[in-house]
Amino acid sequence: MPDELILNKEHLTGFLRKIANERELIAPVKNQYGDTLFEIVSCVDDVSLDLESRPVVPPKNFFLPRTEILFNYRHEGKEYRFEEALPDISRVLFGLRSCDLWAILFFDVVFQENFKDRYYLNRRSNTILINIGCHKPMQNCFCKSAQSGPFLAYGYDLQFTDMGDRFFVEIGRPGGRELVEKWDYFFEPVTQKDRNEQYEIVLEAESGFERIVDFDTAVSRFINDEVDEALWEELGNRCQGCGGCAYVCPTCYCFDIADRPVSDSKGERVRTHDACTLAGFTRLAGGYNPRHERRRRIRRRFYHKLAFAKERYHRPSCVGCGRCVEICFGRIDMIHFIRTVCEQPGKAMKASLRLGEILLDAGLISKEELKAALEKQADTGKPIGAQLIEDGVITKEDVARALGIQLGIP
Amino acid sequence: MHRVLTTCCFCACGCNLYLEVEAGKIIGVIPSREHPVARGNLCLKGWNSFGFVHHKDRLQYPLIRRKKHLVEANWEEALDLVAKRLLEIKERHGGRSLGVFSSAKCTNEENYLLMKFARAALKTNNVDHCARLCHSPSVIGLNNAFGSGAMTNSISELANAEVILVTGSNTTEQHPQIARFIFDALAKGAKLIVVDPRRIPLSRFAHVYLQPRLGTDVIWLNGMMKIILDEGLLDETFIKMRTENFRAFTEILRKFDLKQVEAVSGISVEDLERAARMYAGVKRAAIIYSMGITQHVSGTDNVQSIANLAMLTGHVEREFTGVGPLRGQNNVQGACDMGALPGTLSGYQDIASEEIRKKFERVWKTDLPSDRGLTGIDMLHSVGDKKIQGMFIMGENPALSHPDLKATRAALEDLEFLVVSDIFLTETAEFADVVLPAASFAEKDGTVTSTERRIQRIRRAIPPVGESKPDQQIICELASRMNYSMHYESSAEVMEEIAMLTPIYGGVYYDRLDKGWGLFWPCTNPDHPGTPFLHKGSFARGKGRFEYVVYRPPAEMPDDTYPFYLTTGRIYPHWHTGSMSRRIAALSRERPEAFVEINPKDAKRLGVANNKPVRVISRRGEITVKVRLTDDVPENTIFIPFHFREAPANILTHDKCDPGADIPEFKVCAVRLERVQ
Repeated sequence: MPDELILNKEHLTGFLRKIANERELIAPVKNQYGDTLFEIVSCVDDVSLDLESRPVVPPKNFFLPRTEILFNYRHEGKEYRFEEALPDISRVLFGLRSCDLWAILFFDVVFQENFKDRYYLNRRSNTILINIGCHKPMQNCFCKSAQSGPFLAYGYDLQFTDMGDRFFVEIGRPGGRELVEKWDYFFEPVTQKDRNEQYEIVLEAESGFERIVDFDTAVSRFINDEVDEALWEELGNRCQGCGGCAYVCPTCYCFDIADRPVSDSKGERVRTHDACTLAGFTRLAGGYNPRHERRRRIRRRFYHKLAFAKERYHRPSCVGCGRCVEICFGRIDMIHFIRTVCEQPGKAMKASLRLGEILLDAGLISKEELKAALEKQADTGKPIGAQLIEDGVITKEDVARALGIQLGIP
Repeated sequence: MHRVLTTCCFCACGCNLYLEVEAGKIIGVIPSREHPVARGNLCLKGWNSFGFVHHKDRLQYPLIRRKKHLVEANWEEALDLVAKRLLEIKERHGGRSLGVFSSAKCTNEENYLLMKFARAALKTNNVDHCARLCHSPSVIGLNNAFGSGAMTNSISELANAEVILVTGSNTTEQHPQIARFIFDALAKGAKLIVVDPRRIPLSRFAHVYLQPRLGTDVIWLNGMMKIILDEGLLDETFIKMRTENFRAFTEILRKFDLKQVEAVSGISVEDLERAARMYAGVKRAAIIYSMGITQHVSGTDNVQSIANLAMLTGHVEREFTGVGPLRGQNNVQGACDMGALPGTLSGYQDIASEEIRKKFERVWKTDLPSDRGLTGIDMLHSVGDKKIQGMFIMGENPALSHPDLKATRAALEDLEFLVVSDIFLTETAEFADVVLPAASFAEKDGTVTSTERRIQRIRRAIPPVGESKPDQQIICELASRMNYSMHYESSAEVMEEIAMLTPIYGGVYYDRLDKGWGLFWPCTNPDHPGTPFLHKGSFARGKGRFEYVVYRPPAEMPDDTYPFYLTTGRIYPHWHTGSMSRRIAALSRERPEAFVEINPKDAKRLGVANNKPVRVISRRGEITVKVRLTDDVPENTIFIPFHFREAPANILTHDKCDPGADIPEFKVCAVRLERVQ
């Protein structure tokens, strides 16, 4: 079986019908209300596939569900009994965009680099991924800048290119080959003309982006701490704390785990999506929050997406799908952010945080109190911490705790 | 897994979202991208709106009070008992001794059925709901001025306004999707005026921010109009063609002394001039307001003043302008529309009109009481002298939401018989003789009407949890036990009856709602397309009516013993009495406990520190609550959210009400603060 094939469009439904008979088929479906969502397709003939627009939420929910029961527990006498709820289902995800598929590859790294997350891996290893290269990038797409599209060089099981009346099909990982070999009669060999045409389509797609952003400059300014403080202030004011950017982001993987009682003796341990822009995300037991101010949380979010990911995974974790660009209440999206950062003149900013700011961020003192203490400090010459304690604004314990946490001392 | 499109159960923005259902449980939500308000995103509450549905505290079976304790019972027993007791009270003391609280959290159909049940089965017009506590002044004030008490324009029009004036609405926190349209307008170059005693987040984007003292809205609004009049910025053609009583209005306004503005409200005349010129100087200006305007003893006056301002400048009756009272709950607009009010049947049809009553009597096959009923506030006030003996409360929680909680709770305690239907054992349900477990929004069909008058579907995604039942079913089963037959195949059939009897809903049918994104009322017949903005070409009442309003101060002002202003309100992650939002992990985590916002200067004088508890004392009672220092509240003013049962702000508030709308003055009372040692 060659690595490239042609699937005439009239055979797509037949091919998908075969798949749906054996595995759970998930594909982008435009519903009666006009929304396109990744849906479980039990009958291919009953739905209208939408291969032209971006589904509202990414496919991550099929690997890391919004709410997932990890295990059930029961309290019997003095003992607890546990029953693991490991997922076990074979799936084919058809019609992914390259950005969304790339995001799954990113998840693959995250969910097994230190701790092998069996829940994720069970789902993942049983799923075959078929993407459709974006021959027509949509408004707000910037996967080319993020280097995760519009077509992929690897990582897919099958990659489709829409060539009008037929699909050019590239076979990637073994799962893809398995499907094609099983139902090989739907496919035809490619000609050199097909190859040339496909190449043209890829080139045209790559030149079709309205949105081009400079990740490298943004990352480097981040790493060198050259992002103007005023920008964080502005973004902090604009953020409405909805959490939507994380919920729709294909690479946001943060989760929360909690025990959810079902009755007095039974319960479930559940894992749910979480969002780092929420105050509760970093608040510690006892109420102290090292990122009390929203601007700090916004900073953390962009830091994680750009600089942290670059340092750890050698590339930003944003895949340029454009979802956050479309949904943000306050227009604090990746495109807006990177452009603003790149536009400001580069300059070395102070690197170390001062105690006053640490306390301010933690909400332990107000701006006015800090200002008053700084004014007094100019006369007395005392350290700011001592001045604040003397003024009765804050206790020694609070200062010590805030300092310890900020400096990573337990 | 499958997905069911429905309408969010929290605020009245009316976002549509998909509930994700797996193995009979709701595991997530996805916003609709095509929905004109949701536009692919939700606020934090919306994203987590499914989180309470399967909470272990859900009421799963009826409860009956036996020997002082609520114990498990079956439906037959519970409904029989409720019917028997309500009938007994009715026979002994008359229908007027019974009262009903309907619910702005329930569907239009349920509100309609409950008001029908009250009027037709119980024979009382004592039916009300929490609009009394939020927008009753809008219903009355805007009705007097314009002829309709709802938002004049649709939400999305805001994006094309040139000037937006926001007052008494913390829009980013309480109606995030509406704030999103304001941000859209700002991005297109619109100007923003924010007038609020608290420096709300939106004020950071304001081109003019005015910080009046609490309860001085009539003053600054009159001042603004005086400036507009003096500078000739009014829209004379509009006034001549579309309004009445202008001459009498201006005669008094002309005498208004601008010096009063600064003295009473604390706003400088220069600042007010900037705001006045900004608002009056453009063609498309909109006003957005909410409970900071209405929850005052002068609530109706405040609303009339806002209407005056809009008419004076011709900023109403046109697209991208108007007056927008932002309704709080998902269906508070609908609950009003459905006649869960003491004086009107569905569609604001006057109960006192014989002709109207006859129309309903013919369909309902019974005679109706003709006298106006008691408001929610008056019902509880009437328990003491035995005028009200029994109550049915559906999905409302006055034991936390009403003012002066000590008195409110005493009234609930004193009731001869109280039945509560709710999804959780609320503070109110704890007083009940019978508690009926109701189904949540995810477990029933129906419609709700958003703040922009958009009637939309909610759809059943899962069967009712435990033995709970949709309120529609509860009401009908109860009615039949009280010898009044109420039988409907479905909620769609209830809507057919609503459409038959309610002109503004005359063209509302489920098949039409299922096709698009709902319908805007008035929608008078099956071919009527609905009305995104009201008063097009002419006001609903004919001509808009100017009415000069004289300033009246709040009922309770700070004095030597109680030197602080207290104002109450809501915060972003929580919802009203917290029965749902505080059971949702992500929301509860955002704000796990109550707090009081205090200006740092006041805190210093009092010697209270951030995060440390302080005692807040009013003439009615006291609570202890943690301090949150912020410059967002001015000196001598504190703010406490009312969501938290451990520190209920309404222990402190008083129950003096607006004389017309009977809304309590939640926004102003006097307190003192004491350090907790």
